[in-house]
Amino acid sequence: MSDTLGTGSGPDGKAKATVAPGQGECRPSIEAERQPGWAVSRHLRQTGLPLLSVAVILAFWEGAAQLGLFDASTIPPPSRVLSTVWELQTLGFPRGSSLLTHMGSTLGRVAAGYALAAVLGIPLGMLIGRSLRASRMVLPIVTFARSVATLSLLPLAVLWFGVGEESKVFLITYGCFWVLLTNVIDGAKNVDPALIRAALMLDTSPRAMFYRVILPSALPYIFSGLRLALGLGFMVIVGVELIGTSIGLGALISQARTFYRMDLVFAGMVAIALFGLLIALGLSWLERLLLPWARESK
Amino acid sequence: MQSPRVERVTEAVANAGSARPKIEILQVSKQFPAEDPARGLAVSNVSLTVGQNEFVSLLGRSGCGKTTLLNMIAGLVAPTQGQIAIDGKPVRGPGPDRGMVFQSSALFPWLTAIDNIEFGLVNRGVPKVERRRHAQDLISLVQLSGFESKYPRELSGGMQQRVAIARALALDPEILLMDEPFGALDELTRAEMQDELLAIWQKRTKTVVFVTHSISEAIFLSDRVIVMSPHPGRIREQIVIDVPRPRQRASVQFAQFYETIQRAIE
Ligand SMILES: Nc1ncnc2c1ncn2[C@@H]1O[C@H](COP(=O)(O)OP(=O)(O)OP(=O)(O)O)[C@@H](O)[C@H]1O
Ligand SMILES: [Mg+2]
Repeated sequence: MSDTLGTGSGPDGKAKATVAPGQGECRPSIEAERQPGWAVSRHLRQTGLPLLSVAVILAFWEGAAQLGLFDASTIPPPSRVLSTVWELQTLGFPRGSSLLTHMGSTLGRVAAGYALAAVLGIPLGMLIGRSLRASRMVLPIVTFARSVATLSLLPLAVLWFGVGEESKVFLITYGCFWVLLTNVIDGAKNVDPALIRAALMLDTSPRAMFYRVILPSALPYIFSGLRLALGLGFMVIVGVELIGTSIGLGALISQARTFYRMDLVFAGMVAIALFGLLIALGLSWLERLLLPWARESK
Repeated sequence: MQSPRVERVTEAVANAGSARPKIEILQVSKQFPAEDPARGLAVSNVSLTVGQNEFVSLLGRSGCGKTTLLNMIAGLVAPTQGQIAIDGKPVRGPGPDRGMVFQSSALFPWLTAIDNIEFGLVNRGVPKVERRRHAQDLISLVQLSGFESKYPRELSGGMQQRVAIARALALDPEILLMDEPFGALDELTRAEMQDELLAIWQKRTKTVVFVTHSISEAIFLSDRVIVMSPHPGRIREQIVIDVPRPRQRASVQFAQFYETIQRAIE
């Protein structure tokens, strides 16, 4: 008991010996984390446990399919999905369109729409957020535009921009823009007034106030807006690719469905999930790099 | 042995004695918007003159308008009535002649300790090498060597407050406005910082307006202690501490001043 709490000395006096002098005796867990054995088990828990649960699910799924517990043509087993991924990459579906082609095309569309939304949304949001009048005027518009489901604009987008790339990029921009805008406005608004005052007492020009106080203070909000917008972009793209194209993960999934190739549908889903995972990891890495001071705040 | 000189200042101007006036506060009031106007009256008809190079402390219960008065001298808050002038010129906003240490340290969380200290120097366009050297001197002055590249959230409250003091000192302002700067410090560090502050004040000839809740701190540091009372915020009394420095914290005279001020607050 006293060993785990690190307060009293243990019967053999060893409990105290693990605490470095001057470190205080009330933080045994921090001391313990420095021990290599503990570090290994923590590493295992952080990456090993999620992997383990995924492996267990896949194993059950595979086993159940092999035993014929469910129809392999509606729920293909993991091994089948894997061979389909290979087939898709080598032969292509439709013939000649490999998995990487689909992925590249989807990524390109999302990237274009997303970048456009960022280029428009970040400066605009900063301007609106810093003006009380502008943010009052804009609020009803943003609330309305955000609650319009992006895919319901599909017919309109086709009417305005045709069935080509423009309408797809437009819809992704639309979806990303409003989420991003709301977050950027919030960030620009929520600057601690104490920091503005502190800066005013330090010879800060209006220009420096924007670049050296307001912008850095809004950065965490901008980042979370960028993260949300990206997730939304990948959600929208699948729907957007349902029409007017045969290339792209969304198109792949919808065509596979018409041919009743559920293995292909699953392969497409896996590719989309992979995108999401990689991009989420990349963004959080970037955030840690650019905002080291905001670490642990989430 | 002389007894402490206490002056009652209700409507009259609290005067700086013989020194040339640096800060003149003339019948200043600050009314914040509030449902009950009497509650929103943070500062009521305060007049106070602070002399060139004088060290004045504001003392009083919580809510008696010390911070509000300091903010008005800083130019961050406009009085609803009356006038404040510095060197005879009315205050219209913050200026490079005034530096402030806030009650909450108000450090920029995205900047390290040393970058916080350099913030104002960057604004002034001081070259990087010179800036670094100056900031490094201030870091050792506030005893934070080794913590230069820590972010504010990695520092204790007392350390943050010391960074904020260094940040205000970096621009070498003629007037230092300090709002309970040593409130978060342990007693030992506090005494050391008090000595440092006095050394800076004497060496660089600054005018200091210092808010504190500690009677003995006010006696140790100040030329004059202004005792304020709340609801509405007014100056109640001023006590001139005419004791040569360095002062002995344990002297009989010190105890006398302590008692006088304590009575004035009650
Ligand atoms: N922005 C504000 N809006 C409304 N009322 C305010 C505002 N700032 C201060 N007050 C009121 O003015 C009075 C004086 O506040 P102030 O902060 O100046 O007191 P203080 O003497 O600094 O107190 P403390 O010792 O607790 O820091 C308080 O009653 C407070 O409620
Ligand atoms: Mg205060």
